[in-house]
Amino acid sequence: MTMLRPRTLSGRYARTAYLFLIPAILFFAAFFYLPIGNVTATSLRTGPQADQWAGLGNYTQALADPAVRHSFLVTVIFSVLVVIGSIVLGLALALALDQPLKGRVVFRVLLLVPYLTSVAIVGLLWRNILDPELGVLNRVLGAAGLPEQTWLNTSPLLTIAAVTLWQSVGYTMVLFLAGLQGIPETYHEAAKIDGADPWHRFWRITLPLLAPTTLFVSVMAVISGLQAFGQAYIITNGGPGDATDLSVFHIFNVAFRARDFGYSSAQSVLLLVVIVAFTLVQLRAGRRGEVTY
Amino acid sequence: MSSHAPHMTRRDLLRLAGAAAAVPVLSSCAGAPPAQTAAPGTFTVYWNAGHDYQAYRKVIAEFEQANKVKVNLQKYQWPDLRTRLLADFASGTVPDVVEEPGGWVQEFAISGNARSLQDYVDRDGEAMGFPSDWQPVTVERNSYQGKVYGVQLHLTCNTLLYNKGMLSEAGLEPPTTWEEFLAAAKKLTKDGVHGVALNQDHGYIWPWMMQAGVTPFDPETGKVMTPIEDAIAALQFQADLIHKHKVAPVPVSSTDYSGPQKLFSAKRAAMILTGPWDLEPIKKTSADIDLGVAPPLKNKVQVTQAAGTSMLVPAKAARPDLSWDFIKRITALEVEQAATKETGMLMPRVSWAKLPEVQQDEAIKVFAEALPIAQDSTQEVRLTGQLGKWDERLKVVYQQVIIQNEPAADALRTFAEAAEGFLR
Repeated sequence: MTMLRPRTLSGRYARTAYLFLIPAILFFAAFFYLPIGNVTATSLRTGPQADQWAGLGNYTQALADPAVRHSFLVTVIFSVLVVIGSIVLGLALALALDQPLKGRVVFRVLLLVPYLTSVAIVGLLWRNILDPELGVLNRVLGAAGLPEQTWLNTSPLLTIAAVTLWQSVGYTMVLFLAGLQGIPETYHEAAKIDGADPWHRFWRITLPLLAPTTLFVSVMAVISGLQAFGQAYIITNGGPGDATDLSVFHIFNVAFRARDFGYSSAQSVLLLVVIVAFTLVQLRAGRRGEVTY
Repeated sequence: MSSHAPHMTRRDLLRLAGAAAAVPVLSSCAGAPPAQTAAPGTFTVYWNAGHDYQAYRKVIAEFEQANKVKVNLQKYQWPDLRTRLLADFASGTVPDVVEEPGGWVQEFAISGNARSLQDYVDRDGEAMGFPSDWQPVTVERNSYQGKVYGVQLHLTCNTLLYNKGMLSEAGLEPPTTWEEFLAAAKKLTKDGVHGVALNQDHGYIWPWMMQAGVTPFDPETGKVMTPIEDAIAALQFQADLIHKHKVAPVPVSSTDYSGPQKLFSAKRAAMILTGPWDLEPIKKTSADIDLGVAPPLKNKVQVTQAAGTSMLVPAKAARPDLSWDFIKRITALEVEQAATKETGMLMPRVSWAKLPEVQQDEAIKVFAEALPIAQDSTQEVRLTGQLGKWDERLKVVYQQVIIQNEPAADALRTFAEAAEGFLR
């Protein structure tokens, strides 16, 4: 036992910390790092059983494949829509519900409920609402004498981005609310005394001090946008055509429809690299913009 | 302990944690037992969620009693069943019997994931009437390199379902050709009712293509969709029903292929082109509709697509004798008879078509009479092992033309060029 005892107090603290970390390390090793290693190894192979050596062939094929490039472009557009929407709507809702309104707790809960609902249920719900022929929305619009919508056919990517926002905006609102409540009221009071109107106070005080929250929201929204799958799978099945062929959905189809596990694994690794790169760039850019008063 | 005893550093602790993390993984790799197919006493069957018939439940109960096992009937929609099955193949833990939607038997025979049933067929075939009592197309689509790998469970085909009341009100007889079909659809389209509703699922392209005399893939020449001009005309005809003649609504892309049936049941479509799987939902949801079933349409030829499900046994299934016994029991003629009586489903036995339940049912009889002209659409593609890739590309092209109104000529030529590349 003496062999394991660190000589210093900080060493003993560190040992305790590492011991507590072991379950988490085991969990991450079993469910994240090992599968990532497995996928990386599979990406170097080909064939229906992924049992033939391909080297970097799957990677060069993926980089030259128009379908992969198209699905990545679709995913980037989807992510941009979700990121911008999450920040703008989440912040707007948080600002509204940060006011001393009657029943604001009820509104907060109502806005958060979709986030607590599974993407499969949300997808089926909106699929049944938006179906041009059988959906509820067109019945309501028709009854009101308004023109009927065909968004799932005319703007499918925008539609699934809007559904994603509807589901996730409650969560970003909560994050922004927490950020708003962390800004000391004295800053606003001092600005008021100096004659700053609400618009100036928002731009000069609220928004800069919300930078860490905005950074967190944008990083999370980019990651979840690039990893989106359920929306394409449940609502549009990647269509019409390949209009909503998000990257993860595309990878899924290459693996489980076309049965090319090596090729799909290579695309997964490339997507992982892109997500890590986006995240690092965002974190670096975000830290540069941090403000303190 | 001696003061010279080495103290554990932070790095040592990390190494220890890493080693601890690796132990269960490495030990499981080193001493991994051979893959088991299922818990002893449990017989696992993957089944389509829509095919859990009482007729099959009765057979399962008898099978359980005879073999002293408990059947774990796991029900899935087709895409989920495929995902699960491929994961099982990778892990080595496989079910005992799998129902498949058509095409997987040959695909998995090629990849080595399906077990040949030829030994069992040689032993029991004559007694159970296989293959002599099965429609020839069903034996061909479940064989690979002269050996049987699967047994057909249902044999279906696609034909015309129509609302008798609507057609009679419009003074129309059921159409028999594409021209008559278009004329009828134009006359029937009014007051919020569509003359016809087409499916968003690309599988519904095939009856049209086959009626236009199109060969999906010719392995001799390596050509796809020939003659291409006829294939383009067939696809454009479908798109024109929607976008030019406006006699059909624009379908919506999804995993659900029941849209036309729902419109038909809601009396918002007068005609649909579908299979027997829609008979039961229509009868259940709209008992007041006087349902008519007409033979497949004719263009250059009168033909339709053979479809339906089969059963296969995974290569790693531990109890193939039991699996074969299950297949034998569930494909017996009296079971087919009971399932048809219960649901209206079509069956693959030749003798089934002569049963009173088939001959006396107006709707089922028309389907049964169409079976001899039903052809397999993707047999040659399946045998290349590239059906998955083919289907993915075809889905995109079909929806680009049918839903997004892109010219059929450009889309289909692009598809043919790509497919000829990966099928080579």
